[in-house]
Amino acid sequence: MKIARKSRIVFFLFLVACALQATGSAQQVHIDVEAPGFARLKVAMPPFAGDPATAQSLWKVCARDLAITGLFDVIDPASYVNPAPAPRIALQSLKDYALIGADYAVAAMVTIQDGAVRVRFHMVEVSTATVVDDTLYTASAGEPHRAVHAFMNRLLKEKFGLEPLFASRIACIRKTDKVKQLHLMWCDGTGQVTVKGGGGLVLNPAWSPDGRSIALVSYYRNNPDLFLFDRASYRLRLVSGERGINTSPAFHPSGASLGVTLSVDGNPEIYLLDLATRARTRLTNSWATDTSPSFSPDGSMMAFCSSRAGNPNIFIMNLATRDARRLSFEGKYNTEPSFSPKGDLVAFSHLGSDGRYRIALVKPDGSGFRVLKGSGRGDESPSFSPDGRLIAFASADGNIYVTDLSGSIAIPLTSGGGYSEPSWSPILKE
Amino acid sequence: MNEKRNGKRTAAGTVILGILAALAATLLLTGCPKKAVAPVAPETPSAVQPQAPEEAPGEPVMRVEPALEGAGRAAGTTSAQAVSAIEETDIFFEFDSFDLSPTAKKTLADKAAYLKAHQGIKVQIEGHCDERGTVEYNLALGERRAKAAYEYLVFLGVDPKRLSIVSYGEERPVDPGHNEEAWAKNRRAHFAVSQGY
Repeated sequence: MKIARKSRIVFFLFLVACALQATGSAQQVHIDVEAPGFARLKVAMPPFAGDPATAQSLWKVCARDLAITGLFDVIDPASYVNPAPAPRIALQSLKDYALIGADYAVAAMVTIQDGAVRVRFHMVEVSTATVVDDTLYTASAGEPHRAVHAFMNRLLKEKFGLEPLFASRIACIRKTDKVKQLHLMWCDGTGQVTVKGGGGLVLNPAWSPDGRSIALVSYYRNNPDLFLFDRASYRLRLVSGERGINTSPAFHPSGASLGVTLSVDGNPEIYLLDLATRARTRLTNSWATDTSPSFSPDGSMMAFCSSRAGNPNIFIMNLATRDARRLSFEGKYNTEPSFSPKGDLVAFSHLGSDGRYRIALVKPDGSGFRVLKGSGRGDESPSFSPDGRLIAFASADGNIYVTDLSGSIAIPLTSGGGYSEPSWSPILKE
Repeated sequence: MNEKRNGKRTAAGTVILGILAALAATLLLTGCPKKAVAPVAPETPSAVQPQAPEEAPGEPVMRVEPALEGAGRAAGTTSAQAVSAIEETDIFFEFDSFDLSPTAKKTLADKAAYLKAHQGIKVQIEGHCDERGTVEYNLALGERRAKAAYEYLVFLGVDPKRLSIVSYGEERPVDPGHNEEAWAKNRRAHFAVSQGY
């Protein structure tokens, strides 16, 4: 009796400590995920409790989201001592999770009430019994995954000091039958929707820095013309319909102009198109094919693809001096550069000697060339996440994948094929 | 029914219109014979969603700004003879190349001769690529293939006003295969009669 009371007091003190830890989480020292030797953290996550169908689907979303961040591995529930659904992480189960090597344990209780989905997440650091999160997140019944996104965003921001990745979307092109249309989803593949229209052939989507519009190519007028798709009104505004090609848009970080490929003066060259005045400044001048601009985050540099050295290769231009340097020297076909939002890397599509495309990385000074493992089926069209830690790409199997920069994960966001040209949005305020 | 009605409608006219409307409805219900130029093809049922079911709050459709609606170029009437003489034979290219082969030049010479003998015809030259390159680069490469054919036809004396070009990159393969045989057929310039008699 006495012992029981004593342990009850200890447990009470422990709860107080937990509460203190939880409320003090904003002051926590961030885990440096870019420190050398950072190993992905292991997460034990028993099936979510509550409404069975929603709980099961949200568990899958959460497991995928944890993996997509490149920070976590979810331990297969089959190896848990108790793999039953759990609304919360029980204190006495921590030793079991420690035994299977878990750094964190996550549980959730899912309820549906008045057309809203309510998910109470409970996340505990296994070694210290510290509560990382114990919060009720709500979402509309139409988008239950938004509750998981809210949990993930809070975790990324408060525990790791990272951007709320799950407030970003991926635009891509979806082919069905013979029609190519714009396709939108959250960056984990949830909330997928195809936007119809645009004349049946839409290509080259590129987000504006404010996330309100997407530049794209449409054959609506039977020619590859450049349009701005306004996300609020669903209107397409023509921004360049010159004779010849009007392709490969990329927003300048200012948002005021668009890097584009036009052939109006003869062969394909890159221009900077002022969106307010429609004035265009020619940036390249060569006999060769110049295309696919991508700007550094400070707007001072532009990576692009040019065949001026005989084969398509990646070049980088100082926009003040217009001096261009070659960045890719491996292989004979390097295209579609994407400048990291951190400015430290350029990713591109690289054709290897085995005849297969892979995503390659190089630093803007030309050093550090390396190739990512990816899907292994042929990877093209890289696009960086807004925090610069991840890359979306299109695989030859017709699906969009996400990889981290170590290349150790390649997670499919779509299934069934027909998807190409991913473009990762900035962090959206919606 | 876009025809303008002038004058008052007679009883017989009303009956004929009624029959026409019924016929049109039947056609719509049984499906058009084919070749109905639909700018937006119907979507296949989406059994491919790997995630939460797609929520469609009124299916989203993008629309061009009002000034551009219906801005697709209208095709003129063409005769079957002109179509076969111009459209039957494509010219072909090597991988990542827009150089004209001797065979391609011979084909272009035949087309130039026909065009000079039939002044009413206008031609759009389409540049195409195989699937192996990447999308954006292939849009540029397709443009250069069409332009190479255009420049050679102009060199042979065809009035440039009768020629236009469009690049389709890798978007319109004639052979959907994933092998060299298919790729060789897809690296092409195609010639489409846009107007003529």
